[in-house]
Amino acid sequence: MEKTLANNKVEFHDNVLTCFGKTFFYFESFSSLKIDDLEKYDAIIIDAFDIEFTRIIIKKFRSHAGMEFYLKPLFLINNKATEDPYIKELSDGIIISFDQIPETINDINQINMKITRLETSPSSSFEIQVFKKALNYMFTREINTLKPITDINSTIGYCYPVLSVNFDAFEEGKVLEILEWAEKEHLIWPDFQDRVYLCSNCKGGHLSFREICPNCDSANMRSEDLVHHFPCGYIGAISDFKNNIDTVLNCPKCSKNLRHIGVDYDKPSVINHCQNCNDVFQDYLVKAKCIQCKTDTDVQFLISKDINLYKLTKKGRNSAVGGIYTSDYELNHEIAGTLDFKTFSTMMHYEQERTKANVTLTSNLVVFYFENIFDLYKIVSKSKEKSLLGEFVTIIRDNITPADFICINNPSIISICVNDVAFENANLMVLKITDMIEELVRDNFEKFEIAVVSHVALLSKSQSFDKQIQTIIKELVEKT
Amino acid sequence: MIEAVDGFFSYISAVGPSKLLRIFWFFVFFEFARFFIFELTVLIIWKLREPQRKERYANARRRLFIERPLVSVIVPGKNEGKHIYKLANSLKEQSYTNFEFIVIDDGSDDDTERICKSLQKNGLIDLFLRNDVRGGKASAANLGYRFSKGKIVVHLDADCSYDSDAIEKIIIPFYLDDAIGAVGGNILVRNYKDSLCATLQAIEYSDTISVGRITSSYLGIYRLVSGAFGAFKREALDRVGGWDIGPGLDGDITVKLRKLGYLIVFEPDAVCQTSVPETFRKLVKQRLRWDKSIIRFRVRKHRDVFYPNATFRFSNFVSSAENITYNLLLNIKWWIYLVDMVVNYTSLLAFVFPFNILLYTANNFLKFMVFSLFRKRKNASIVYFIPYLPLMVIYFGFYLRLVRSVAYVQEFFFKRSYKDSWNPAKSSNHAKKLGI
Repeated sequence: MEKTLANNKVEFHDNVLTCFGKTFFYFESFSSLKIDDLEKYDAIIIDAFDIEFTRIIIKKFRSHAGMEFYLKPLFLINNKATEDPYIKELSDGIIISFDQIPETINDINQINMKITRLETSPSSSFEIQVFKKALNYMFTREINTLKPITDINSTIGYCYPVLSVNFDAFEEGKVLEILEWAEKEHLIWPDFQDRVYLCSNCKGGHLSFREICPNCDSANMRSEDLVHHFPCGYIGAISDFKNNIDTVLNCPKCSKNLRHIGVDYDKPSVINHCQNCNDVFQDYLVKAKCIQCKTDTDVQFLISKDINLYKLTKKGRNSAVGGIYTSDYELNHEIAGTLDFKTFSTMMHYEQERTKANVTLTSNLVVFYFENIFDLYKIVSKSKEKSLLGEFVTIIRDNITPADFICINNPSIISICVNDVAFENANLMVLKITDMIEELVRDNFEKFEIAVVSHVALLSKSQSFDKQIQTIIKELVEKT
Repeated sequence: MIEAVDGFFSYISAVGPSKLLRIFWFFVFFEFARFFIFELTVLIIWKLREPQRKERYANARRRLFIERPLVSVIVPGKNEGKHIYKLANSLKEQSYTNFEFIVIDDGSDDDTERICKSLQKNGLIDLFLRNDVRGGKASAANLGYRFSKGKIVVHLDADCSYDSDAIEKIIIPFYLDDAIGAVGGNILVRNYKDSLCATLQAIEYSDTISVGRITSSYLGIYRLVSGAFGAFKREALDRVGGWDIGPGLDGDITVKLRKLGYLIVFEPDAVCQTSVPETFRKLVKQRLRWDKSIIRFRVRKHRDVFYPNATFRFSNFVSSAENITYNLLLNIKWWIYLVDMVVNYTSLLAFVFPFNILLYTANNFLKFMVFSLFRKRKNASIVYFIPYLPLMVIYFGFYLRLVRSVAYVQEFFFKRSYKDSWNPAKSSNHAKKLGI
């Protein structure tokens, strides 16, 4: 079939459309055509007549390992499937007819232009690889948030289309793990939306909650009100008071009729009878049966996960073009005199207890955030990163006492516990360290001005240390 | 001082026996004759029959362990959570193990619910039942009994602790005689060292309660299965429909069972330790509640035990009559005696009162020493209590007597037990209306 559309601007030939020098492949049905054969096209137009079909095609592109596929502009025609937020999120626009194709040219150019800016060095880990894909997609589409959407196909009931597309529906738990990792790396900030409970065995979220007998786990139960007859003190299930003749309740102890609730009787509680084992109890157990793996779990043992809307941090936004720099946990072993965060956190808890025990003692928590250190890391080679941080640590160590301890949270954040020093002195000390670090960088890297942001706080005696440092880091990172 | 003492003794020797009897008739005929001579006689007979009793007891124990019936241990109470863990642990040590432990929370407003649910989850409580709205001790006990499955129901108080063979010992008597409907346990004072008030109560418990109940049980007139430790045959509880509204529900249910012809016995070997009020103010509150129940239940609700009708039983008649006589009537008589002395022997008051105190103190010493030979369990050496014995005259003779008199007046003329906050007003109002 060959025809010309839209004022002779669009040509259509064997599912290939040409418009202003751009070629579009029109996907209207499953065919033997392999996705890999479509690299040469500038964009894809999918006939979204069916949600399932559209999802499958979109997933084929967006989950592809190659940038030229997963970042390929995809447009939808035929609006049936466009109600699906998953599809909406992963497509680049909707057109009513081929006549609108010229309007997509600008979007395609924008995307292609942004693709050229992306950093393409090989990723060092699976998390980085997957998250970098998502960052690349978000950067080229100017998306700043990872928004969860409810999805019946997802095992946890929610999905983050940009990330989830890389996994099968039953692997949605892995998406949460990657998001947790990215949050820890300060690439994204969470904004709570909902909470889900997942099977402790398979991390599935399709659970059937049932009230069951604590003795035999059967859900076959009968619940009854307890009735207390005031005049004689009898108390029992309401069935004790019922008779076969009328609807009047009679006390089995004193045979009197129960007339007025609150006056001669009340219902102080309920009682449950198990129809399976005849056990009697007031509190049934609530268990969740996983539809996926059939495991029956006490609700208290379910895994609780927060479903957040994630906003990209500045670091996250920069990572698409600058690459993802992660915290190197070995740094602490390699840079003498520093602690990993876990040890630092434990010691800070002890420090809190010490200051609580003696009100005259104070400790200061100092956090340095090197805002543009990743730009500096790009200048120095990877092997020099540790030396650079080592130099920073030496400067810090020279300005604190041997009893103070240093933690490298990640390559851009260093925390210090400064003991038994007045808050004002700690501030002066921080200013001195900042000056020295800035001078060091200026002297060694011509014209590079490192942006050092710091925060000094008295170690809280009431708030948990983890919460305190989290708040400080959040404020520092958001401030920049 | 020496002259006064000399004069006192010269006067006694000069007065002569008949006049002494006229002045001290109250002591001679009631206190000494009833509470020492009579009880001692019964105790001697009881002791002499011990070998036969031992054999029957061994047989009953054998039958119990062959049958091994399920026993339901029910613990009703409000805000008792703090005691339940200790109690659950003491029950874990019991020599008789086939029992279900049921705790009934009567609308507690503290941590009781949380504690008990946790204990239930950890298997220390078999069944935890809670009334969100308080219904009173009777309704809580009835709830436990309603959902218990045991052939025997043992009623405990949460703040007590029990000997490791207490459950076994309290249920053995049911295998001595099928007519036994309830068994009362022996209660000792755990906190006897904590205050003077507690020490005096410990002496009272070991005399009046432990020894007194051995004799009344032996004579078949035992009238109070204590709520702190009592066992009931399920069939008997079914017939009386469980507990009626209190205060005094333990005495009430005992009479109800007696009226149905059940034997009620005391088991001195089944030992429970309880904490008694540590201040005299708290003790007054407790005793006012206890003493009012004589009027409410013996004199009013169960006065039919004195009527010569079809259900009349001589033992019930004696049991109630003895209780009313020695608690209520003699209390009134004591005031008459006081007036008699003041009116007729005004000039001798300086002699009468010291001599009375001397007599009572001597009697207390004698009783305590002699009865110690019959006590099976003691919470401390008798030597510990000896320094406190002189104070028992004031404790028994004045303090408790005065409290009792006030309680009788309050209940007889004003029916104050129905206003006691110990029981919720919603049920007390009905009880008052129905006269129960």
